[in-house]
Amino acid sequence: MNARFAIEVDELTKQFAGGVRALDGVSFTVDEGEVFGYLGRNGAGKSTTVRILTTLLRPTSGTARVLGHDVISDAGAVRKVFGAALQEAALDELMTGREHLEMAARLAGLDKARSRERAAELLESFGLRAAADRIAAGYSGGMRRRLDVAMAMVRRPEVLFLDEPTTGLDPQGRRAVWDLVRDLRDSGSTVFLTTQYLAEADDLSGRVAVVHDGRVAAIGTSQELKDQLGTTTVRVRVSPADEHRIREAVAPNVVAPVAGGWLEITIEGGEAAVPAVVGHLTGAEVHVDRLSVHPPSLEDVFVRLTGTQIETSAGGADVGKITAVRRGLGVPTGPGR
Amino acid sequence: MTPSAQLRLLLFRSLREGGRNPVLAYALPIIIPLAVLVLVAKTLYRVTDLPGFPTSNYAEWMTPAIIMLTAMTGVGYAATSLVVDIQSGFLDRLRLLDVRPVALLMSRVLFDVVRVVPAGAVLLVVGLLLGTNLEEGVLGVVLLFALLVLWAAAYGGLYFVVALTTGNAQAPLALAPLFLPLQFISTQFVPHSLLPGWVQAVSAWNPFTYMVDAARAMTTGPMTLAPVAKAVAVAVAMLVVTQTASLRAYKRATGGL
Repeated sequence: MNARFAIEVDELTKQFAGGVRALDGVSFTVDEGEVFGYLGRNGAGKSTTVRILTTLLRPTSGTARVLGHDVISDAGAVRKVFGAALQEAALDELMTGREHLEMAARLAGLDKARSRERAAELLESFGLRAAADRIAAGYSGGMRRRLDVAMAMVRRPEVLFLDEPTTGLDPQGRRAVWDLVRDLRDSGSTVFLTTQYLAEADDLSGRVAVVHDGRVAAIGTSQELKDQLGTTTVRVRVSPADEHRIREAVAPNVVAPVAGGWLEITIEGGEAAVPAVVGHLTGAEVHVDRLSVHPPSLEDVFVRLTGTQIETSAGGADVGKITAVRRGLGVPTGPGR
Repeated sequence: MTPSAQLRLLLFRSLREGGRNPVLAYALPIIIPLAVLVLVAKTLYRVTDLPGFPTSNYAEWMTPAIIMLTAMTGVGYAATSLVVDIQSGFLDRLRLLDVRPVALLMSRVLFDVVRVVPAGAVLLVVGLLLGTNLEEGVLGVVLLFALLVLWAAAYGGLYFVVALTTGNAQAPLALAPLFLPLQFISTQFVPHSLLPGWVQAVSAWNPFTYMVDAARAMTTGPMTLAPVAKAVAVAVAMLVVTQTASLRAYKRATGGL
């Protein structure tokens, strides 16, 4: 075992009773102090991975360690070093926000006075002070999620697991979670963040694993993935008569017409090859009405790896939510968690 | 945090929750036994005219048995709450905080036990008002309540086994009517000598029979060792069996983690 890894996962598989294979040989490592994005659509195996890493679920085979402790044989030690907010906000409907946090703090080993203090701090920083003494049954979805994440923070975890922490949150709530993750990153904590929002993985994570069908389809920094798997395109608008000359000028790069009279040139060799292609266009002496360069996006990478189309949600361009639109590849209907 | 500190904290949580839901948690266990006692004492009192009936006050005959009955109409709330915790994910939150399974289960069992005490007290007072004599005095009453909580824990164990085996919050509710047949195949309504032969035979296999006999010994007397020792042995055995089974069901449900 290597102590410099915060999380070490080796050949993890999980076969549920009933035959659903949620994980099919997942391996990766997360460095200490890293924010690691675990990206995939519903049913990809994200929550199963989190439940194994947080000692809640026994894998069928393979090993996993958190800060060097085996999640099966040393579950007690693992539970002392991490905090986790699971996919569903896990609250007791008849307990108030303050009571949740005080109880979690007491169970985490803080004494009574310290638990009270910690609960008050967390209520304040998660914007729950006004609702602190109301029972959770009356909380909104966003408040429930914030309380759940706050409970994960009672003992300032060395490793924090956040399983889709922003799903179902309004923009302010989402921003609050992102700020928390950035704060943790800056203070040196390790964060394992599962998400189905591409922008979230792109903005917050050092490295990203794209998980699909119970396997890690690709892993690397968002830039590395884009460089390796994304495509850079240049779009030009020219008069229809010039289309043929464009094709000849930029060959062997592929040209395809897109809406609005634009032509899309897929650039072999990525962004670095863009100037040369533009040079060819200039040399061909065609009149280019307009031109735009599209660097690779994580969305491209995702589509390529998972055959899943991504739809930009109504919430705005910053939340490219992956939806279950299939494209060619069979997408499993595994359990959601 | 030690398992016993966890247990205290979780029990406090249950009690607080019960306080927010007092009708369901504390008042409901009283209703059925109270109705049975008052109705039976006021409608079937001529039963005592049967030759061989040991008392002329039917309410006095019924009161100790009815106090034991509160354990059977009162339990179940805690097992259902446990399944709700499983379904809501709150149990996972507790597991992440390294709550030991024993602390978790015992806190729930103890909550059921606590809920039965006010019910037993109300029924005792009503019994006294209906003319029950406490021949064995304060000691008898103390022992009666000790047996009541032991029996509540033992009988409540059935609910935990069903709750944890099925993982269904409604399943334990199906056990609720079980107290009905158990009443009739015991010595609750009439003495052993007046039961038909086959009921006598069956009642020997009914744990409730032993509770009723011991409760009578502790209140209307005479208090002898045999019925008390038998009742304690039966209840302890039932407690051990049900709690071992529910702990196993819990561990199976959580993969032993």
